[in-house]
Amino acid sequence: MKRFLIATTIALLLSPGLPAQESTPAGPPMEPQGPQAPQAPGPRRSSPPAQEVVPVPVLIAPPKPNGPVQKSLVRITATAVEPDYRAPWNAGGLQRGVGAGFVISDNRILTNAHVVANSRYLTVERDGDPNKYPATVQFIANDCDLALITVSAPDFFKNMIPLKFGGIPALESTVSAYGYPIGGERMSVTTGIVSRIDFQLYTHSSIDQHLAIQISAQINPGNSGGPVMQDGKVVGVAFQGYSGDVAQGVAYMIPTPVINRFLKDISNGHYDEYPDLAITYAKLQNPAQRKFLGLKDDDRGVLVSSVVAAGPSDGILRPGDVLLTIDGHPIASDANVELEGERAQFEEVVERKFKGDSVKFDLLRNKQPMTVTIKLYKPWPYAIQGHSYDVRARYVLYGGLLFQPLNLDMLEAYRATDLRLRHFFEYFTVEQIYLQHPDIIVLSNILPDPINTYLAPYRGAIVDEVNGKKIRTLDELANAFAQAPEQLVIRMIGDGPPLVLDRNKVEAARERIKTRYNVAKEQNLREQPEAGPPKQANKT
Amino acid sequence: MLRRSLIVFGVMVVATSGMLAKKEPTVPSAAGKQKQLALVRVNVTGQSYDYFRPWQKKAPFSKRALGAVLSKGRVLVTADLVANQNYVELERAESGEKTAANVRVIDYEANLALLEPAEKTFLDGITPLEITPDTVVGDRLAAWQLEPTGALLATEGLVTTVQMMPYPIEVGQFLTYRISIPMQYRENSYTVPLVKKNKLAGLLLRYDSRSQLVDAIPAPIITHFLKEAESQNYRGFPSAGFSFFPTRDPQLREFAGEKGKGGGVYITNVEPGTPAMKAGLQVGDVITAIGNNEIDQNGNYVDSLYGKIEFTNLLTAHAYAGDVVPFHIQRNGKPMQVNVTLEHRDAKDYVSLPYYLDQPPRYYVVGGLIFQELSRQYLKEWGPNWQREAPQRLVYFDHFQSELFPERNRRIVILSQVLPANSTIGYDDLAYLTVKKVNGREIKSLDDLAEAVKHPIEGFIKIETEEDPKQIELDASQVAAEAPALQENYGISSLQRLQ
Repeated sequence: MKRFLIATTIALLLSPGLPAQESTPAGPPMEPQGPQAPQAPGPRRSSPPAQEVVPVPVLIAPPKPNGPVQKSLVRITATAVEPDYRAPWNAGGLQRGVGAGFVISDNRILTNAHVVANSRYLTVERDGDPNKYPATVQFIANDCDLALITVSAPDFFKNMIPLKFGGIPALESTVSAYGYPIGGERMSVTTGIVSRIDFQLYTHSSIDQHLAIQISAQINPGNSGGPVMQDGKVVGVAFQGYSGDVAQGVAYMIPTPVINRFLKDISNGHYDEYPDLAITYAKLQNPAQRKFLGLKDDDRGVLVSSVVAAGPSDGILRPGDVLLTIDGHPIASDANVELEGERAQFEEVVERKFKGDSVKFDLLRNKQPMTVTIKLYKPWPYAIQGHSYDVRARYVLYGGLLFQPLNLDMLEAYRATDLRLRHFFEYFTVEQIYLQHPDIIVLSNILPDPINTYLAPYRGAIVDEVNGKKIRTLDELANAFAQAPEQLVIRMIGDGPPLVLDRNKVEAARERIKTRYNVAKEQNLREQPEAGPPKQANKT
Repeated sequence: MLRRSLIVFGVMVVATSGMLAKKEPTVPSAAGKQKQLALVRVNVTGQSYDYFRPWQKKAPFSKRALGAVLSKGRVLVTADLVANQNYVELERAESGEKTAANVRVIDYEANLALLEPAEKTFLDGITPLEITPDTVVGDRLAAWQLEPTGALLATEGLVTTVQMMPYPIEVGQFLTYRISIPMQYRENSYTVPLVKKNKLAGLLLRYDSRSQLVDAIPAPIITHFLKEAESQNYRGFPSAGFSFFPTRDPQLREFAGEKGKGGGVYITNVEPGTPAMKAGLQVGDVITAIGNNEIDQNGNYVDSLYGKIEFTNLLTAHAYAGDVVPFHIQRNGKPMQVNVTLEHRDAKDYVSLPYYLDQPPRYYVVGGLIFQELSRQYLKEWGPNWQREAPQRLVYFDHFQSELFPERNRRIVILSQVLPANSTIGYDDLAYLTVKKVNGREIKSLDDLAEAVKHPIEGFIKIETEEDPKQIELDASQVAAEAPALQENYGISSLQRLQ
């Protein structure tokens, strides 16, 4: 069911020359306001007399349709460490950014995942309080760009007013966005109208697509995570938009159905992510094809094209099945269902469900009607095709050769254009490459040393076997190296020569390479540290 | 396995940088012999085939170029110039007299072609160019062009490198001269002869106006071509059919059983059906010498003329199809000799044809679905950056064809596009799908497809594809009934071409 998403990611990769904004339907997520934000001389701070220039709002007493939002809004400063995929033993670059968040029930603060992803230290500030309060991430949902954080200081929430959620605002109705965008230190408000309600790519993960609402309010870096309000209720969380040189007045917010789903998902104590059917399907609009499949002339049904073996539909659905209803909703031949009076793609039914929930299909197999029930979960192979956060890059360094599993972050770090790598990346799930190669292990880089001085041509190759044994995962590769036979013969996928390493020479070179390149650790096989609970549950 | 970064472009590029090239004095005798100049203008009009609408040709092009006049009334040009030609005309430089010409022999891989004037006497009075095969690094060559008046424009440059390089068609590598030369643009500079002491030393292959570097097809390749062209049946340059890798890495050498400082190249792949396979070469063999020429760890031998140069030169410039070449190899550390009978590998012997010129593309239309065979010629329809811009899955199939389709004796049939019609409602967005089966029959060529389509299953034509949607069905009788309207609507002269 990811076919559109995959297509977009690919478009991005294949046209590295183009500005990303032009080739993706949605712009990049608004980065939290970086440390390089223009240093506009804040009148209040630098020169007290300037304060007199500021109009005094009290005299005008403008209407505040949404109430005292500053009593709910917080300014979040995150210090993040981005993994360095080109030198994965390093801690990675420090980044500091500012975003917004708002208080909701039970002393929780809702914000965007991209505001707090990879963060090592978080502080929040509130209106009229000079203190910065340390905060911690409670739940982060990178697939829908939402996170909950909290502050342990006992009095922090005392005078804060939790915001309540509304529904989906009507097209053309006016909304206001609150946040801390570039241009000043204090809260900023912009208004606009609801322009469009549609499925969009969420660029934080860059593989997930959910409902999003396009608004015409000015939204800039620093607005991320802030509430978008109407009639005193939150109708969305501002999260992404186009930069001004691509399109103007096009910003997106996460609507309340997505927010409510997130809040419900975590109510059991951990975030389970969106489940997915993990199938591909085709519309059934061709009359001859419909006749061939034994379908009535009733504009119903979609054709299952493929079923991902690692997904929940494996063994239940088959290619060639015609799906007729989902949980009782008739599926039209253009893959839409009617939900609460609105037409939506039938996957929307699955979007609203949680891990462990079931979905029921009436279908036609070899012209015979059947009913099946699928217990949902998120299949793991999609993970490599999207961005990962709060993980440590996995790698093995041996003889100066850096081996890394292929994933989107790694591919982007190296700006890889290799035809074979891109093919394996693109078709990892659809062509079930993961069955043979759960990790696609790439010889991604070589730290030059006399031992590997002639090995440069192997760069970018994918490991297939070591000493005659198939290597399926990075752990297996690490094991093969750890067993340290006299000679290691590494076969790569394709017609290339084997890469041969002499154990004694590698052993002799190890310390030399570690010292010369300041390599703290020669391997990391786990995305999460062994001790301590992972921040993101259900990470496979 | 090496990629060259120079942009492959057969056409001479406009030299924007200054006109500082001096005229003739570097070729003193030329000015005096102006009337006798062994150059003729060649005017070509042609039409490329339109792979996106394979039933038709593109708008005509015309090219003005030069040809080098050789003995026996032959005119040498690049294959680029006359590929897909409709009409070739020769024009005497000094008089403007014209005659039609025929393409007698063409070798797209070596980028050479021989023309013959229709009027046998047309070249009378011209002293043909002799060929000098002994150009080496450091020699000076003059590029011969013509002024509009017919006067000679000669620009001299220095041969900086002699090496093996891919030619525009990218089938194998050939000996190439690289010359540093500040060429000027003239309207008819498509094929530019490079001359040493009034003898032909090479033909321009490509020119990069920014670096002012010319790659030239060298005399040894031209001589080879001319010698083959003498025979009734032109066979083309030979190939052996294996890939190799240098053995500079001592660990690889030891693995291959080559102790110490031995040389040679490691065979990484032997393609089925090729001379190398027939001769019994194996993956893992190390080729240490060919004939009497020892091969070093980089894959070079010592040429009597050029010094160190890649050994593949021994199998192209120095050898002919049908030659038996002794390969000295090490297999598991033991020396052996294997005799390889070289053959020319025809474009048709590839799964995805590397080139397909002067012949119309094959296609088959079924009810608005257009089927074609994947070829590099088709992918090149996406322009000079086709490797990045063409559908990547097809580029992948083309690039790794020997690995992905080792059986070789097949084509990849693709559903290239869909013409909207009643029978294709709902299929309009399909494109670039690879066809696996039609009506239950395996499809390994368009001929298979044409045959399979004739056997519908219960009135339906069922097409199975590798990619989604995996299956497409058409109503056979509707397809037949709609065919005339489809042809009429889209101006399709014929719904198939299998020749």
